[in-house]
Amino acid sequence: MFGPFRATSPLSGGLLWKIPFRLSAPQKARQRKRLRAVDTVIATIDTALRKQGSSLKEVERWKAEMPREEEMRPKDKYTVFDRKEKRYRKGIHSE
Amino acid sequence: MPFFKITQIRSAIGLPKKTTGVLKALGLRKRMATVFHPVSPQVAGQIMAIKELVAVSEVEQALTKSEMRANRRPDPGYYIETPASEAFDARI
Repeated sequence: MFGPFRATSPLSGGLLWKIPFRLSAPQKARQRKRLRAVDTVIATIDTALRKQGSSLKEVERWKAEMPREEEMRPKDKYTVFDRKEKRYRKGIHSE
Repeated sequence: MPFFKITQIRSAIGLPKKTTGVLKALGLRKRMATVFHPVSPQVAGQIMAIKELVAVSEVEQALTKSEMRANRRPDPGYYIETPASEAFDARI
């Protein structure tokens, strides 16, 4: 009945939309902050292991394949893949 | 010996059981809980599994729960004077 995923009239479909189409500037700023937090974790692990002279396959692969926050395209930062959506992309804030 | 200071920032509610299991294995039970683990590839792999949920830093010393609590305690704003004679006796 309560909580973020309750069945409210805007969420149960139809033509009543309450979630804005676009993310607001603060929402986007918070999302970038979360993405940067992951980058810092990776960097910390990498430097700590390197000091010991060891390494980790997962970290090396992440660094080789995954872009950092500033290297990501806006499309990748603020939208995610969804096979049911038109043009296969939906905002990170919708549902 | 260096340690990873791991603090859980985001909750694992609604995430797969595997993720919850990794948090539990690291000793993280709720948000803002902090644990220390020695720097090793094993622990690093565990952190990689939950990198979106935690904040990590590398520290030289692991602190106990009571030490962390003492660090958070604000300065009382006063100190208790000891009589000069007692202080003198204590030094001898």
